Amino acid sequence: METENFMQNFIPIKQFHSVHVLMSGLFMLICSAVTVGCGASDGFRPIDDSSAVFWDRQTVESANLLREISDEFNAIYTGLPIKVERSGNYTEIFRKVSASIRARSLPAMAVAYESMTSEYIPTGAVVPLDAFIYHPELGLSQDDLDDIFPAVLQTNRFDEFEGKMYSFPFAKSVLMLYFNRRVLDDADIVAPPKTWDEFLRQSRQIKQQTGKYALAMNVDCSTIDGLIFSMGGEVIAGRETLFDSPASIGVFELIETMVKEELVYQITPGTYDDEVALVNDQVAFTLRSSSGLSNVMLAMDNDKSRWGLAHIPQVNIDSPATVLYGPNVIIFNTTHEQQEAAWEFIKYFTDTDVGVRWALGTGYLPIRKSAISHPDLQAHWADWEYNRAAYDSLVFAKPEPNVAGWQQVRSLVENAQTEVLTGMKSGRQAAIDLKQSADRALAQHR
Amino acid sequence: MRKLLVYILLSFGAVITMWPFLWMLTTSFKTLPEATHGGLTLLPSEWQWSNIRNTFEAAPFGRYFFNSFLVAGSVTCAVIITSLMAGYAFARLYFRGREILFILVLTTMMVPFEVILIPNFVLIGKLGWYNTYAALIVPWCANAFSIFLMRQAFLNVPQDYYDAAKVDGCGHLRYLVKIGAPLVKPMVVTIGLFAFLGSYNALLWPLIVTTDEAMRVVQVGIMAFYGDAGTRVNLLMCASTVVILPTVIIYFLAQRYLVESPLGAGIKG
Amino acid sequence: MDTLLAKLDDLFDSGANRFRDAPIAFFLLLPSLTILFMFAFLPMMYAFYMSLFGGKQGMGDFVGLGNYTDAFSSSAFWNSVLVTIYYVVGTVPITLLISFIVAYALYRIAFARGFFRTLYFLPYITSTVAAAMVWRVFYNTQTGYINAVLDKLGLPAQQWLLEPRGVLHLITAGWIPHDIGPSLALCCIMLFDIWQGSGFMIVIFLAGLSAIPRELEEVARIDGARSHQVLRHITLPLLSPTLFFLAIIGTIRAFQSFNSFYALTQGGGRTLGTTENLILHIYANFYEYGFWGYGTAVATLLSLAIMLLTLIQWRLIGRRVHYG
Repeated sequence: METENFMQNFIPIKQFHSVHVLMSGLFMLICSAVTVGCGASDGFRPIDDSSAVFWDRQTVESANLLREISDEFNAIYTGLPIKVERSGNYTEIFRKVSASIRARSLPAMAVAYESMTSEYIPTGAVVPLDAFIYHPELGLSQDDLDDIFPAVLQTNRFDEFEGKMYSFPFAKSVLMLYFNRRVLDDADIVAPPKTWDEFLRQSRQIKQQTGKYALAMNVDCSTIDGLIFSMGGEVIAGRETLFDSPASIGVFELIETMVKEELVYQITPGTYDDEVALVNDQVAFTLRSSSGLSNVMLAMDNDKSRWGLAHIPQVNIDSPATVLYGPNVIIFNTTHEQQEAAWEFIKYFTDTDVGVRWALGTGYLPIRKSAISHPDLQAHWADWEYNRAAYDSLVFAKPEPNVAGWQQVRSLVENAQTEVLTGMKSGRQAAIDLKQSADRALAQHR
Repeated sequence: MRKLLVYILLSFGAVITMWPFLWMLTTSFKTLPEATHGGLTLLPSEWQWSNIRNTFEAAPFGRYFFNSFLVAGSVTCAVIITSLMAGYAFARLYFRGREILFILVLTTMMVPFEVILIPNFVLIGKLGWYNTYAALIVPWCANAFSIFLMRQAFLNVPQDYYDAAKVDGCGHLRYLVKIGAPLVKPMVVTIGLFAFLGSYNALLWPLIVTTDEAMRVVQVGIMAFYGDAGTRVNLLMCASTVVILPTVIIYFLAQRYLVESPLGAGIKG
Repeated sequence: MDTLLAKLDDLFDSGANRFRDAPIAFFLLLPSLTILFMFAFLPMMYAFYMSLFGGKQGMGDFVGLGNYTDAFSSSAFWNSVLVTIYYVVGTVPITLLISFIVAYALYRIAFARGFFRTLYFLPYITSTVAAAMVWRVFYNTQTGYINAVLDKLGLPAQQWLLEPRGVLHLITAGWIPHDIGPSLALCCIMLFDIWQGSGFMIVIFLAGLSAIPRELEEVARIDGARSHQVLRHITLPLLSPTLFFLAIIGTIRAFQSFNSFYALTQGGGRTLGTTENLILHIYANFYEYGFWGYGTAVATLLSLAIMLLTLIQWRLIGRRVHYG
């Protein structure tokens, strides 16, 4: 009955509805054109004229510390005050910034990974920092620049965009090997492994003597990159990936071996179940960023004898490498006031004293070499032998690629890692296929 | 006897349905290591009542709840009004292009939200509504689903009611307000409930249009417990449990009205 | 109040032709249509407009239907179509069936009605993110309940959300290849959605059931009809509008399911694409890789598919629906 009514009404009004359709169509076309046309105006407006808004991701404790630091800064800075706003996790911030770029209305600064920054740069929304860094009054001196770890600065230089520095380090950390002493003791192992051969041997020993898994593994592109570095390889050369190199194949084959011998298992993505397993004495090792240190210490009931941090195993102990983690901060192309306030805050924040405070309060690393002689940091290191391990790793930490389209390659790497962890492909095959698909993906982004 | 079997099966089904909530509730009172330990234990070894205090001191939840209720309440009222009006128009009025318009309204249901997110965000920016209640409320004041439901409800009200009222000299508007709306009360409650839930549970949209602490809603507030290096599961569950409570209470009170049938009484009269 | 309404009615009265109600209809429809136009229709049009351009972040050149042809020749696209179909077929009928059974039971009981109805609606009330977190804990391969129970029963633990192999492959111990049929991970997501979505359908079924005049059933019983006959010949036919409505709405929602997928798997890459439905495919291309043109093109295709399917359902099933 319902459908019949519908049909009856449809036919007689056909003559009228064409006028309706035409008019509404015109109306919509005009509206769309207006909306689109408006979008093509130049410049980006700040979302708040009375303060320099900083979109950040920090939660709970570190958010409080960041706010404290920004309050101190605002007390001495005469320009726009900095306003920190927690805006979701990194993916959400990426989405928000993308949308805001489209809407031509941006905050003063935001956190961003290199792969995200390379997506923002072509829109003209990000300010290259070279002008600020080398500015005679506002900039950093050569001593300052030398004081910062080179890898940390290097990762913010975008070769594809004239080698300019589009971001500045914010919260850096490195890939480390976390180990559980109890499980190692149960397996009669005295110290964590220094080479990959030792790692495999120890893993087998752990399985044999305790029946437990040696490693709980998180599917993460940065981890794989770090492992490739530690095996003496590189990840990319220009715009061609090197996932079929011996180092890369070595990494995937190692995972394959461990899967076959039941030495490793995959954790639920998006969780920290590997840390949980470590804390519950269920695994011996995890491969995670050093920023997790304070969290794990808390979960271990502050018992320093139960666990530790070490450099990740290497192939060649004399030329070690690991991967550099952590977001940077970018300044948006809004007004000069906003940019200046943001830059001054960055300088204040990455200065040695504040940097050490930030590091001690959050577990991130200070980016300056001079931090080593800071008394608070020295005291922290004296407190527990493993507190120093991450800092020592910083010297040989390497940055990940920051070419356009890397976001997509990250998904492909994680895909490949999953293929090997679930036993669907051999390590060698996964690595070779990954190179093909990664190169194809990068080609699409040119 | 048959009834007893039904009750047993219902209870069994209820337990399966409820199990995740029991877990949420009991985990709220565990310590962090205990909460992440896993295994088959449900109850905490020691009830950590302090978790409640810790949860609500971590962020200004008072303000968040105020915002959530304000926004959800406004949206609910607006949706009820707009869908009553539009549903009635589509069901009982004759005008040019009625069918076309209704189909166009329905098509808005078929476009995934994530896709129109960015155009909507741009529009909000142009209207200057960024970080305001307007952005949180206005786009949701009408939706095709509610209009569809209300139209169905009005179609089920027999034509006789209107004809009888017309004889008494009653026009459409009077009829709608005095007779029509009360007749579809169950549907009004249903639509109100879904509108409230949709608004209260929304996360994506509030996250993207507000960044000011003072404008946050509870769902965004809960995100605070997803730390950079680990999730505080116990506090997260505590917050989540408390966040669900208002909707449970509202539903419990409203569900009676969802199933009353006033039509039976009307036909005889 | 009464006189105000009467005066307004007089104002709107424009004679007695076929389309006489236009003025008052305009008044009643104005608020809804304005909002829907601005925040639903206009963005739709804009999204379609975006789909005609290539490049990233909306900055590319005009490519006409280039994005659409890219989609049709992309294996990732067709994979996501398949995943979506598995998902819709796997969840909608089962949810309808379970919801109907539960709603019917809740309709017939008298004691503790409110209590049970609230319980069964709880899953729907909870935000998907919180509920998914709980389920992820249950599905955990090392410490989750389900594997713990299996362990006690002596059965092998499964990988649940991490298992990209097909469920048919696992059940038949390898006889069926692993890439035929939905993966175990996808089935886990389907189970979650059935759990969460049934609350919604139960509520609507209850509303539909209560609109059936009780006298009809009582008369049938007095005439000697048994319960299942009443069900078949009176209740179900009178419930068919509700059933029809839920089938359509359920299908539309199933095609657009995003929250559960994302909350349970954090994107499709970690299950080798076996849990990447069309929306996730759109999401990845749009928000993660920045291909706005491609993303909106696939979204347009999805919307068209939904419209087509709805139309087919309407015509096919609509004829069998009885209206009181």
